[in-house]
Amino acid sequence: MKSKYILYLVATLVICLFFSLVYADTFGAKKKRPKPEEFGTIVLNNFSEKKSVSPVVFKHWLHRSKYTCRLCHVDIGFAMKVGETGITENDNINGIFCGACHNGKEAFAPEEKQANGVVKKNCDRCHSFGKKVDFKNDFYTFKKGLPQERFGNGIDWIKAEDQKLLTLKDQLEGISIKRKKLENPKEEMLSAKVAGMPNIIFSHKKHAVWNGCELCHPEVFGVKRGQTVYSMQDLFNGKYCGACHGSVAFPNDDCQRCHTEAVS
Amino acid sequence: MKQSRVLLFAVLAALILLPDTGFGGNTFELWPLPPPAEYGNILIERTSHKSNVMPATFSHWLHRTKYSCRVCHFELGFAFNVNATEITETDNKNGLFCGACHNGQITFGHTAENCDKCHNGDISYSKEKFAELRSRLPKAAFGNEINWAEALKKGIIKPKYSIYKDEKPLEFDKILELRAEWGGISPAVFPHGPHVAWLDCSNCHPDIFNIKKKTTKHFEMRYIMDKKFCGACHLSIAFPIDDCKGCHPKMRRTK
Repeated sequence: MKSKYILYLVATLVICLFFSLVYADTFGAKKKRPKPEEFGTIVLNNFSEKKSVSPVVFKHWLHRSKYTCRLCHVDIGFAMKVGETGITENDNINGIFCGACHNGKEAFAPEEKQANGVVKKNCDRCHSFGKKVDFKNDFYTFKKGLPQERFGNGIDWIKAEDQKLLTLKDQLEGISIKRKKLENPKEEMLSAKVAGMPNIIFSHKKHAVWNGCELCHPEVFGVKRGQTVYSMQDLFNGKYCGACHGSVAFPNDDCQRCHTEAVS
Repeated sequence: MKQSRVLLFAVLAALILLPDTGFGGNTFELWPLPPPAEYGNILIERTSHKSNVMPATFSHWLHRTKYSCRVCHFELGFAFNVNATEITETDNKNGLFCGACHNGQITFGHTAENCDKCHNGDISYSKEKFAELRSRLPKAAFGNEINWAEALKKGIIKPKYSIYKDEKPLEFDKILELRAEWGGISPAVFPHGPHVAWLDCSNCHPDIFNIKKKTTKHFEMRYIMDKKFCGACHLSIAFPIDDCKGCHPKMRRTK
């Protein structure tokens, strides 16, 4: 009887402490900002741990140094939210998702037969969560020659591409459809809603290099002018511009990078 | 018997949860302020001890004369709580955090002969410099006893606004008036202007304060005392909340 009593007591304490901690830290304080090498790095764990393998650590910075966003998020069909794609091993083997490139032709395959006949397993190179893996590509070595930026990865990706410091592949044989390059629409000026806030200049050109048209239209933004109504609060909640800006593209912290047109 | 047990659990639960839910907590138990020369000084002790070096001393007043809050807490990504930023020696050498300036170019570098300048464990480090600085800046009643906002406005100090770009503070001086929680207390007045001069929008928005009017929840004095909201700065870095009149201008000064 007495032990039951103590058990109840401990349980109450634990539950209360848990709620008190969770409740105490969710408002009125600044959130932690990821380090440059962590920004845009995601962990995929739809099935990994259930199948007793480490979750996949996917680095946007590494893939983006060679491919446009559009190639993966439009042509290959990756969703814009972590875990939403539901990639399986079977998919990859069938050449879908990661397997579209990680097949030994475009990029390393899960298993590679080396010249000496020994089969090299590459599991750890992706399923690396919680493991100490000696990666070939070091973030800071890669970052060195590139234009600096304050936020996100600390790299000005737009400038890097513009200066031809990066060569981005936008088409993949057998997956992408060859198409004629479209002329970019002009820059858009969007008026800020709060008096005194500078207006926003949106450059189609800068976005189209990486995203084409299809990544944003018509799902994230409609195509008819004034049709899509959104607020900064929506962006902070990961919608509209916030689909990329905040987690993968430069974060929303960088107010003056979009709000550039001074109001006279 | 059973009833008394239920009662006991309820009391226990209440005791733990009360400080968070708002019925408990002591609103006006202000801790004593450090001497002006040490106000805003911190000792960073995260891995120093484990690495056999003294904690790093950091003085807000010293850095603030040359750089706005925004440079470190916005551009360089320093957190608002001591030891919350995972600064490592490697980071500094990669040009992150302290290493963005302490690189031997902008100011003294993270090299062997300079260890003691930061890793000295002395919270009152360079207090002589403080006396000299204070003598030529406008006075205030609390904190460093320096009116920093005034010093900046008059151009006596010229802290850099950005270390990357040629940016200027937004010309945004929306003044908010917030009704006090208690009757008899005059409203709090929040001017964006003097804050924008030091900080970036995103230092406060949207993490600390939401951007939509009246959507910031739990914005109350007792949470400010707990380092939330205004308390992120106005307890130990910017003028302390001991200075009631600083925010509630129609109140009479208490000290």
